Amino acid sequence: MLAEIDRIIFGDNQFFGINHMSEEKAQAQAERFKDVHAILKVIDAAYDCGIHAFMFNTHDRVAEICDHFRANPQKYSDLRLYPSMPYAHKYANAVNEKGMIGALSEFLFAGRTVGQAVTTIVRSGRSIVNRDMIEVMKLLVDAEMRMFRGLNVRAVFLQNIVTDLLLGLRAKPIIIEFADHAQSTYGVDAAFNTMNMPRLVDFLEECGIRNPIVCSSINKAGYLMSPSRQEYERTLATKQFRPMAMSVLASGAIPVDEAIDYVCSLPNIQGIVFGASSRTHISETRQMILSRWGTRTVPCTIS
Amino acid sequence: MLRGGIIGFGRMGITHCSILNSHPDVRIVSISDTHGLVRKSAQKYLGVAAYEDHDKMLQEMNLQFVVVATPTASHKEMVKVALARKVHVFVEKPFTLNPDESRELVSLAEQATAVNQVGYVIRFNDVFMEVKKLLDMHALGDLVMFKMEMNGPTVLRDTKGNWRSSKGTGGGCLYDFASHAIDLINYLLGPPDRITGTILQSIHSADVEDAVGTTYIYNSGLRGNILVNWSDPSYRKPTHRFEVLGREGKIIADLHAYKVFFRRKPRLNEFSEGWNERYITDFAEPCRFYLRGFEFTRQLDHFVDCMCGRQRCGIASFAQGLETDLVIAHIREDAQNACRN
Repeated sequence: MLAEIDRIIFGDNQFFGINHMSEEKAQAQAERFKDVHAILKVIDAAYDCGIHAFMFNTHDRVAEICDHFRANPQKYSDLRLYPSMPYAHKYANAVNEKGMIGALSEFLFAGRTVGQAVTTIVRSGRSIVNRDMIEVMKLLVDAEMRMFRGLNVRAVFLQNIVTDLLLGLRAKPIIIEFADHAQSTYGVDAAFNTMNMPRLVDFLEECGIRNPIVCSSINKAGYLMSPSRQEYERTLATKQFRPMAMSVLASGAIPVDEAIDYVCSLPNIQGIVFGASSRTHISETRQMILSRWGTRTVPCTIS
Repeated sequence: MLRGGIIGFGRMGITHCSILNSHPDVRIVSISDTHGLVRKSAQKYLGVAAYEDHDKMLQEMNLQFVVVATPTASHKEMVKVALARKVHVFVEKPFTLNPDESRELVSLAEQATAVNQVGYVIRFNDVFMEVKKLLDMHALGDLVMFKMEMNGPTVLRDTKGNWRSSKGTGGGCLYDFASHAIDLINYLLGPPDRITGTILQSIHSADVEDAVGTTYIYNSGLRGNILVNWSDPSYRKPTHRFEVLGREGKIIADLHAYKVFFRRKPRLNEFSEGWNERYITDFAEPCRFYLRGFEFTRQLDHFVDCMCGRQRCGIASFAQGLETDLVIAHIREDAQNACRN
């Protein structure tokens, strides 16, 4: 059975200095959220407002946030998480320092005791250089998923840099094995973030992945929508998949109500991922989405 | 359909492979790499032929072009072999470690009538393409001062054994990182007439520099600084910041946005007196495929367009790669002279 996606999901880019439009804004956000308590305050504001679904990159600091969730099970009893992996910059920097093979070894064994590392080696039966890539991919997914242990994970997202890399390479077996691994090990659907939604939807169909969850930038400005906004609209109207929208505000390029009007007018969108940094913005954006979508969503409990 | 091969299947080789493979006129049919696991995986999961020896790949695969994405020290040999086989060549930046070698390759490419390009990707960034247009229109009047800064968290400890941290292989901040900033200034303002006050500073690396500072002097009266540091942990990813002051105004630009200040109402209708802020969302052109930034697709599409005869070979050609190598060599020379004094 296909799991239902949350209609509104809170994203985390703003916490880690990620802004696709302005390096200055990104820097200001990174400064504001340097303390994990500042992040938790915003997460709590979203949670109190009725948004219980969160998409998290597997940034090192998300591990701290997850520790906090685990330490307060009562408070977050209805929490639903959508991890997106990997957080690419930590890999990119490690590859620069150690080369590809060195970086892979580091991540497979990061944060493990010697005993765990030995178990990993024994499990694979071989050293890293002799392993099969699929096996390495599964070990990396498991390494990334460790930070979410014991929490309610609803789908496992492949981050757009990796999805789009594999899409260009047409690496079907890796995509298929990733989807199988998410289902068999974590009991959830694999999901895909992308900047090339129409092409990816066709490719996933070729891979035999039915009704996939695909999250992509969808905004009135046509920003980060390759090859074009028109192709996105055509794909939404004609293809069978579970589309989710991110970057709906195009990093601030479009006025909020205009942006929400546009995305809510499109057919078949299953969920919207958005990020904000203040209680007022979170509440207003949520209310706006709810009002455009009418009765299809639950009402806000606290605003 | 153009048949292509990738020499060096590391991070950049794989990125280029993915972008090129998504192009309707291109098919990547083979790769070469020294690492067995990489070859085995490429063969098994990507369905391409995989070679240890790049020359054997060139002999057997009937390629029209190659992408060379190996450590810089090997560029000369790889490019030479490819040009001897009369194939078009895209090579990662910087071009080579020695302007004499680069000059030889420029002439070999001409003789082979091969399309040639160096991976100076920032030239294809939306913001810097806009800035280039404004500067070419002389929108700021005569230029007086500039500052080109590039910072990132690429090297945060000494990493022995990696080519990036070794002398002689193209390691170090000047070749591997600052070359982007140096090339961008060549593109926007032209190469300097004189270089002075160079500092190459090590922060973490034992054998190579992690930061570069230098001063450019132009006969026109323009002066400027290049300040590059790849060991700055306060940045999440490599960041460019360019600032240029002219007698009529000023531009401040990064990869995502720029601001332009005009002293009085400019001739260009879309701008007004004072500050004008433009975000990438205001002017970015749609692009057929996105991976790590539109500029990565745009640079390879330019290469493909040149091979198909749709565009003249021009942006980031080998000849321009040579110009950047010459500036890098002058910077290194200036640093050595400063040490001697």
